[in-house]
Amino acid sequence: MTGAPLLELDGITKRHGARAALDGVSLAVAAGSFVALVGPSGSGKTTLLKTINRLIEPDQGSVRLLGSDIRDTPPPALRRRIGYVFQGIGLFPHMNVGENIAMALRLAGADRPARQARVLELLDLVGLPRDFAGRRPNALSGGQAQRVGLARALAARPPLMLMDEPFGALDPVTRDALGRACRALHDALGVTTLMVTHDMTEALLLADRIVVLIDGRIRADASPAELMRGGGDEAVRGLVDVPRRQAERLAALEGRA
Amino acid sequence: MTGAAAEALAALPDLVRAHILLSCAALAIAIAAGLPLAFWAAGHPRARVPLLAAVGLVQTIPSLALLALFYPLLLMVDRATSLALPALGFLPSLIALSLYALLPIVRNGVAAREGLDPAVLEAADGVGMTRRQRLLLVELPLGAPVLLAGIRTAAVWTIGAATLATTVGQPSLGNLIFSGLQTENWVRVLVGCAAAALLAIVADALLALIESGLARLSAVRTFAGLGLLAAALIASQIHWAPRQDRPLAVIGAKNFSEQYILAAAIADRLAAAGYRTEIREDLGSAIAYRALAAGDIDVYVDYGGTLWTNVLARSDNPPAPILRAELARRLARRDGVGVLGPLGFENAYALAMRRDRAERLHVRSIEDLSAAAPQLHFASDIEFLSRPEWRSVAAAYRLQFAGSRSYSPTFMYRAVADGSADVISAFSSDGRIAALDLVTLADPRRALPSYEALLLVSPRRAQDAAFLAALRPLVGAVPIGRMRQANLMVDRDRDKKSPAEAARWLLPPSPPRPAPAPRTPVSAPRPAPPDIPAAS
Repeated sequence: MTGAPLLELDGITKRHGARAALDGVSLAVAAGSFVALVGPSGSGKTTLLKTINRLIEPDQGSVRLLGSDIRDTPPPALRRRIGYVFQGIGLFPHMNVGENIAMALRLAGADRPARQARVLELLDLVGLPRDFAGRRPNALSGGQAQRVGLARALAARPPLMLMDEPFGALDPVTRDALGRACRALHDALGVTTLMVTHDMTEALLLADRIVVLIDGRIRADASPAELMRGGGDEAVRGLVDVPRRQAERLAALEGRA
Repeated sequence: MTGAAAEALAALPDLVRAHILLSCAALAIAIAAGLPLAFWAAGHPRARVPLLAAVGLVQTIPSLALLALFYPLLLMVDRATSLALPALGFLPSLIALSLYALLPIVRNGVAAREGLDPAVLEAADGVGMTRRQRLLLVELPLGAPVLLAGIRTAAVWTIGAATLATTVGQPSLGNLIFSGLQTENWVRVLVGCAAAALLAIVADALLALIESGLARLSAVRTFAGLGLLAAALIASQIHWAPRQDRPLAVIGAKNFSEQYILAAAIADRLAAAGYRTEIREDLGSAIAYRALAAGDIDVYVDYGGTLWTNVLARSDNPPAPILRAELARRLARRDGVGVLGPLGFENAYALAMRRDRAERLHVRSIEDLSAAAPQLHFASDIEFLSRPEWRSVAAAYRLQFAGSRSYSPTFMYRAVADGSADVISAFSSDGRIAALDLVTLADPRRALPSYEALLLVSPRRAQDAAFLAALRPLVGAVPIGRMRQANLMVDRDRDKKSPAEAARWLLPPSPPRPAPAPRTPVSAPRPAPPDIPAAS
């Protein structure tokens, strides 16, 4: 852990009726780290992520970003400082790719030439040809669309990126390529990334640190290596065992070939 | 019927202009109120059901009734507050049509908002849009095609329903349709319907162009549609005829031929005296008098007995001169309304039967009718059965018919002619009484009051010497025989005349005042009044 925490969550609780989706979750995220939030469906990981950009307000607890309580900033202003990428992608269908990518800049009042220059830069960064700027979202494949989503989230140079199952709807090849591209961007731009996924393999391969949420509580918080060595309780080991056994079976297949 | 066609077409530009102005204003208000309501309701599911129910409920009220309803409502507001609200004409029409246009706009607005992809809305929030930015940059552009479909529906409805504004004294294409129906002048009806249909088709086509432009994200189509729509609106509102700054006189008319003819005759007199004239026709009895008292119209012709029973709520039955003097005194004192004088004929309600039928049943008076009534069918005009006169006759002679039905006057005469009714509530000045060989039944118990036609002027005009001087020549100038003939000219099936033509035959206009600029008229001199044989 290097430097002061960029993001601090303290005792976050969110109830849906009698059931607690989040039950007193506390977490500190260091600047520059890539944290994966892993857990089975309904474990509260998406809810936790959305409390950070105030798409969901917690019942209790506080979130501090760069040292200040996020409730002191109106949600739109807060969200302009946080990149947000999610499974639904949500490109604006009535705007072309360039206009989609430049939206955060437009909201911030940047002028047209500055926006256009930044759009080309971002298309390069996410690995799309520059002439994609004039295309409509409905002319893109799923992987291309999510690359545009990623570029849109990065446009205003946010210090923090929130990613909610960003590759969930993509085919395995695209998913792998985009995951690695994402990690490379994270390293190159020096951002802090918090990524929700239910895929332990993806988490183990991309993240510096894995936080396992089960039933709204943190059950493990460790590096991928520590988890592979068998850290955490039985449920956590159960999650890690799946990719491990798959890897062993694949290796066995390879040895036989 | 080239005369009728030419006359209908001559009236068309002004009516089209008024029709478009009213429809557009109503639609603009409905959009301005409906869209925010719809988007608000989409975010408040609990408000949505009652809101949609409320705008749907408005829609279930027949549009004619909705228009008529705002007349008394506005009068009440006018009395309760010090606002000088015009209860007749543009305002009630505007309110009613706006309410009517709300349903498709609100319903499609809600649908447009609910049809938006939740992922797109989440992205809009996630990228840091304020609510307002989300509305303007995402929700409205994406919902536009569905919104516009609602606006298209509303536009077509409004243009159609605006024809009904005629009944509350707002000029519209309905003027041609209603007066044409009443006088069976089908050319007028056709011209009015065709013009309204054409307006609706053009409006719909232009809005469709904008809609397709928005749906296909084509700026060319969108702006072409908007541009054409704006151009059409502006062009329609330009007064192509040179603007006249002569004072305006508004003449009222109820909904039958005699009223149209007299209104046209009054208009001729006032035009000759230098006034710009406008005729508000198809007013109901009660509306016409109140409109006069409120100054919404300047002059119209009403009938002594009608005023006596309906306006003054009297049930006694004095002789005509006393009734007239008493009316003049009371109306002036109560409402400031002036009774300029009698036109010279009476248009009484009279019970009438076909001559052959009356003779077979030996019915000469209403007295004789009371015994035969239980086997007879009665047909009346639309208001008669709810008027005090009917109650008075029914009570005086103990009339109990086998059945009774209400018709518009034209169809009431048809009913007695073809035998589907035995007795009708005829009008004594009606040319059709002689034309259809009807007999009017005597009223020995004097249950029906005198119905002298009287010229009434509004409180303001009652003080206006020039205005009164222009109309005074009409007093005593219309004998009953001439009125019947003029009515028949308009009502008969063959060689039908328009009310304006009949008016010129009935009261040939005095030569116009010498115009300030010397200019010879291009048109041929007016045709001499045709020599009409007495109806027989």
